[in-house]
This record gives sequence, C-alpha cells and structure tokens, in this order.
Amino acid sequence: MEMNIYAYKCKKCGHVQYPYRTICRNCHKNEHNEFDIVPLPKSGKLLTYTNLYTLPPDFEVVTLGLGIVELEDGNKITGQLNIDKPKIGMKVKGKVEVVRRDEYNEYMGMIFYPA
Amino acid sequence: MREVYVAGIGITSFTRLEYPLIEIAAYPALMALRDSSLDKIDHLYVANMGAGRLNHQTGLASAVVDNLSLTPAGADGIENGPASGASAIKQGFLAVASGMHDVVMVIGAEKMREVNNLEATEFVATLTHPLAEYIYGVTLPSLAGMFTRLYMEKYGVTSRHLAMVAVKNHANAMLNPFAHLHEPITIEGILDSPEAATNNPFVADPLRFFDCCPVSDGAACLILTSAEVARKCGRPMVRLAGVGQATDTHAVHDRKDPTELLAVREAARQSFAMAKLKPTDVNVAELHDAFTILEIAESEEVGFFPKGQGHIALEKGLTKLGGQLPINTSGGLKAKGHPVGATGVGQAHEIVQQLRGEADKRQVKNAKIGFTCNFGGFGNNVVCLTFVREN
Ligand SMILES: [Zn+2]
Repeated sequence: MEMNIYAYKCKKCGHVQYPYRTICRNCHKNEHNEFDIVPLPKSGKLLTYTNLYTLPPDFEVVTLGLGIVELEDGNKITGQLNIDKPKIGMKVKGKVEVVRRDEYNEYMGMIFYPA
Repeated sequence: MREVYVAGIGITSFTRLEYPLIEIAAYPALMALRDSSLDKIDHLYVANMGAGRLNHQTGLASAVVDNLSLTPAGADGIENGPASGASAIKQGFLAVASGMHDVVMVIGAEKMREVNNLEATEFVATLTHPLAEYIYGVTLPSLAGMFTRLYMEKYGVTSRHLAMVAVKNHANAMLNPFAHLHEPITIEGILDSPEAATNNPFVADPLRFFDCCPVSDGAACLILTSAEVARKCGRPMVRLAGVGQATDTHAVHDRKDPTELLAVREAARQSFAMAKLKPTDVNVAELHDAFTILEIAESEEVGFFPKGQGHIALEKGLTKLGGQLPINTSGGLKAKGHPVGATGVGQAHEIVQQLRGEADKRQVKNAKIGFTCNFGGFGNNVVCLTFVREN
C-alpha cells in the first residue's frame, strides 16, 4: 500500500493543518483530537531549496537536498529532494520513504523527485 | 510602570574559553558589579540554552548566584533558544518596572566549544520542528539556505551582498577586543579569487562558510535598576525604554510567505511603541546576523529600510561605521561570535557601550538611541529592545 504523510482536518471548521497542532489555527474551537486525518497530496511545486554540505549525524551522504514544496491543496511541507538540478517553481512529486536512520529507528518522510 | 536603567555592564571575550561554564557566567557579573559600584542585588536571571546538554550542568542560575556570593537573592534560569539573552533582559525589565525589585542582574552565558562544531549544530537543530523538519536533516543553516534562495529570487539579493555583510562585520570586529574573529576579509578573498572555492565552501547553498556565524563560548551581563539606584551608581544614564516580543510558526514552511519575518516586525513595532520612538530615530543597532542574510532581512522588518531594500542600503554603505545607521558595530554574531544564550545580552552590552560613548574606535558619534534584535529559532521567537541615553 502506498504510504502517506497525514494532515489534520478540523472537524469544526474544515481547515487542514500540517504539522499537527492541538488547537486549530483557523477557528481555535476544536476539542482535543477533533480532527479527521487526511493524506497530504504528493504533487506540488518547489518553493525553495538548499543543498546542505555540513550534515547532521546519521547522514552518510556528501550533500543533502532539502526543500519546501507547495502542495496541490495549498499546504506546504518540508522534505528531502532527490533532484539533480532543482529550480524554484519546478513541478515535483513526492514519495514517502526512509529519510533518517539512527541506532534505534527509521523515520519515514517525504522525498521529492522531478514530476 | 517604573522606568528601568542599565547601571552596570560586563562581558567576556566571545571565543573558546577554557573556564567552567559557571565561571564564564560569573566573570562579566563581577565586571558589571564593579562598573555599577553595587555589591548586592535583589534578583538574578541567567540566560542559557545548552548547559544541560552540552556542559552536564542544570540549575545554572542557582550555581551562579552562589558562585557570586549573592545568595539569598532570587535566581531564575531562562531558556528561550537563541533569544534567551533578550528574554532574560525582558524579565529583568519587568521585575524592576513593576516595582518588585530595585536591582536585577541579567547574565547570558554559553559554553558550546565543549563539543565539536557538528555536535553544536546538531544541538541547535533541536530547535526545529521534530516531525516536520528535524527528521529530514534540517538544521538552522539549512533553513537559512532555503530562506536566502527565496530572498534572492524575490528581491535580487546576490552572493555579493551577503559577502558585503560579512566583510563589514569582520571589519567592525577588528575594532572590538571581545570579538571572536579578528580576521579581516575581502570580497576578492571570499568570492572572486581562485582560492575562494576552498576557503569559502558552501555550507547550505547559496550560503557559504563566511555567511555563517562561528560557534562561540562567552557571557555578558547587565545590571538593571530603578532610576533612583542608577543615579547613585553614577554611570551615564541609559534607559531601557522599549521591550517587544513576538512569535511565529514553529515550522518555517508553515508561514504564508516564508520570506517574511513577522515576529521580527511585531517585536520591533512593540519595542518602538513602548519607547515612543520610530525606526528612523535609531543611531546604532545590533541585529541577529547568525547568517548574513538575516542582517539584511531584519534591517527591513524592524523598519530601518523598506522591504526588499536592505541590500541596497548595505550597498550604499548606510550600515557601515560612519554611515547613516551603523549596524552590528560589535562585529555582530557573524564576527563577534554567537554563544547562543549569551547573544542577546551581548548585543545589549554593545549598545550600552555605544550610548555611553565608551565604544572606543568603533564609537558611533553622538549615539543617543540604540536598538537590538535577538532572533530565536528561525524567527519563531524574537525580542527587540530600544535603549535611550539620557542627560
Ligand atoms: Zn478549526
């Protein structure tokens, strides 16, 4: 089954937020966990990016591509990039894959490729 | 509210310091006590970000108040990321302004060089959103890199403008005996020469090595008092006239326009409103240039220059020593150094020196109004202070 990154849709006002907040940023009226969990879209356009050369521990690559993507529904997400020559405004498509591994865990997140 | 004055100041060099953190914190406090001729305080605030993690030391304020033989004065620790320093000054301001205390000491102290640069960067990266940023390998330099690229695209800022900030602040630091980097640089050397690619490599493109602040140890101290106590201390009367603070989303991507630093804008607005002053009244400012782009962006958001015009003001030399509004006369975080929890207090120290007319070779002539912007996270918690020289 295809994996997703999930956003939180307020049951009071319908606003979709990512990442999670206990209180809806739009209406401030929800009760605890009063959200529908909805998958974020995976297509969007690259808003900005960087290649990181001084890497955190756990990363065994020379540079790490990171970017902010504006998704089709207007939500934005930070993710890793697997793109040779990124360009602001280019169309990208995400896949949920392992983005970080440490001694104990693997962390799943969005990696973007050219669309 | 009562008026609040700075009656004493002290600072260490921002560099690698071999003393234990408690003594690093105590040294500028001793200087500030001597500067003010006070030997007792009502309360101590200690700003620090990493002692628990980097130095195996918790409860720093309790340790420092005893080391200074100032017990039984009350003591609180303040951790608010890289804005800890100005946050602690704000607490001190409130304590004196409210009438609860007459003499409050504020120390900012950090010892980051206990660990290597990568570990220090990783420690600071714990500021980022744990699920939406940190897991991807996002660090503060990566957020700054993405911010810079978007800024360049939108406003025409170039690598040359960024290098101009670095060159200016390194030059200012040459005149500051407490600065971390005493290393004059040129645009030629860090951008145009054949060696530039090796001596100024990318950190998070388009940001290069010389666009990023060093990792420093250091501490600074301010003693805040009522007007009555300050007059007795006999130092030039510098009033903390405006305090503002605002926050923004934890994850940077969550902002409507990620090139806007709304918390900077709002904190500055509050600070100027309280002081009943305008950005154009300011004679000297310390802005939080952890990355060169931030000096440009903050100079716009606090209201010194219109949005998108900060790099033009820089180009014209307006922000140099001798210019219309010198920025980061201390060398800034870029060259004075960035011991995270101490930085906000260090910025205030520079402004008080300037307003007292004690800044020596980097003195801004007739400086009467000074301003600081201390920027936490990637702009998610910002404190701005306005200082006024009286009489
Ligand atoms: Zn809602």
